[in-house]
Amino acid sequence: MADRNLEDAVAGLEAGPASPEAEEPQSGESADASSHPSVAALRATFGDAVLHHAIMAGDEHVVRLKLDRVVEMLTWLKDDPAQRYDLLADLTAVDWGGGRPLDLVYQLWSIPHRRALRVKASVSNADPVADTVSGLWKTADWLEREVWDMYGIRFRGHPDMRRILMPEGYAEGHPLRKDFPLRGRFSRAEQTRRALSIPVEEHYSERELSVIDEVLEHHRGREQGGGAG
Amino acid sequence: MGVSLPTVPTGEASFLTTRLDVVVNWARQNSMWPMPFGTACCAIEMMATAATKYDLARFGMERMSFSPRQADLLICAGRVAYKMAPVLRRIWDQMPQPKWSISMGACASSGGVFDVYSMVQGIDTIIPVDVYVPGCPPRPEGLIYGILMIHEKVKGESLADADLREEDPSRVGVPNLAAGVIEELARPYGNSTTQNRVSGLVDTAALSRPSDRKP
Repeated sequence: MADRNLEDAVAGLEAGPASPEAEEPQSGESADASSHPSVAALRATFGDAVLHHAIMAGDEHVVRLKLDRVVEMLTWLKDDPAQRYDLLADLTAVDWGGGRPLDLVYQLWSIPHRRALRVKASVSNADPVADTVSGLWKTADWLEREVWDMYGIRFRGHPDMRRILMPEGYAEGHPLRKDFPLRGRFSRAEQTRRALSIPVEEHYSERELSVIDEVLEHHRGREQGGGAG
Repeated sequence: MGVSLPTVPTGEASFLTTRLDVVVNWARQNSMWPMPFGTACCAIEMMATAATKYDLARFGMERMSFSPRQADLLICAGRVAYKMAPVLRRIWDQMPQPKWSISMGACASSGGVFDVYSMVQGIDTIIPVDVYVPGCPPRPEGLIYGILMIHEKVKGESLADADLREEDPSRVGVPNLAAGVIEELARPYGNSTTQNRVSGLVDTAALSRPSDRKP
C-alpha cells in the first residue's frame, strides 16, 4: 500500500500538475469577453490568433495567444489608444512538467485605463525559443534574462542574453524546470569547488562596464572643466 | 602572526612571552572589530545586538568594520548562496591575521532549511569557523554568548604558538574542507529532499532521484 502511494507520488512528480485551463475548452466561445474590452478588441483585430480566454480567481482575465504572433499583438496592446498596456508588471514562465509545453506569461497593466490582462503563450519544451519584447518594455530585458536563467527559454533579438540569478558559468541547467533535481545535478563538493572558482570581477557585461566608463569620463570632463574655470 | 619571540630551551614559553600574551590577548579581546557579513534575517538580529539595548560597545565592538582589511572578527549572519561563496572567501582572505569567525544561525552553519541547488551547506566548507551560534535566527543574547566564547578563545592563545596564525597562500580561494568531507557534511540527514509525507517520514531516497546527480 505504502509502495503504491510512493509510486503514485513519483509518477505525479514526473507528470507535474495539471494546467488550470486544461479542463476548459481550448477554442470556441470566450469565457465572458464582454467583461473585458481588450479581449473583445483582440478577437476583433487578430481573430484566430487568440486561442483561448479564461477568467481566473474571479476577475483575472487570461488570454492564450499564438506564440509566433505574440510580439505583434503585444505591440498592438501597448500602442493602441484604447488599450495602452504601458506597464509590463511581470514576465515569467511555467513548466507544467512531463515534457509538456512551457507557458510564457506576460502580466500587463494599463495605467491610463486601469486594466489588467494576463497573456500566455505556449513554448516548445524541447526547443524553447520566443521573440524578445525588450524593445517594447525596457523591464523585459532583465525579466527575460531571468526566464532564460530559470527555464531555459531563449529570446530572439535580446540585447544581452546572459544568466542573471545563477552565476555565469553555471553548468547544471535551468533550476525551475520540473526535471531539475532540487539539490542540483553536481555533488556538493563539486558545487563548492565550482562556486569558489567563479571569477567575481567578471560578473559585469561589456555593456555595463562601458556605462561605468561613460560615467567616469563624464566626471573627469567636469573636473577638468572646473579646474580650468 | 609570524612574530618570533624568545623561548626557553625546553620549548616552553618564557615568562616574558606569557606576560605579553596576557596583555596582547586582553587588548585584542576588548577591541574586536567585526566584519558584518549579513545576508539575511540573522543580520537583523546582529543589528539589534549592536543597537542600544544589547549594545556591543560594552565589548569594544561598536566599530563595525565594513572593510575586511581593518577587521578581525567575521560574523557571517544568514544564508550564503553559492554565487556569494567566492565573495565570502575573498573577504576572509583579505582579512589580516589575527582573525576569527562566527557562523551565526542555522543557515550559515549548515544550510538550514535551504537544502537546495543554490545554497552553501555550511560556511565551514568555505572558510574556517571558530564559533557556531545556533538559532533561526539566534537572539542577540545568543550572538553575545558566541562573541564571549570567541573572547575566551582569544584569552587562551599564545604569541609563541606559530601554528595558530599560520596561513598558507596556496589555500587562498579553495574550499576549506576536502571534497569527501563536504559530501559527508551535506548528506541529507532528515531533510525534505529524501523525506516526505507519502513515505511516512522514512528516508527512502526515492524522490531525490540519485540518477540525476553526477559525481
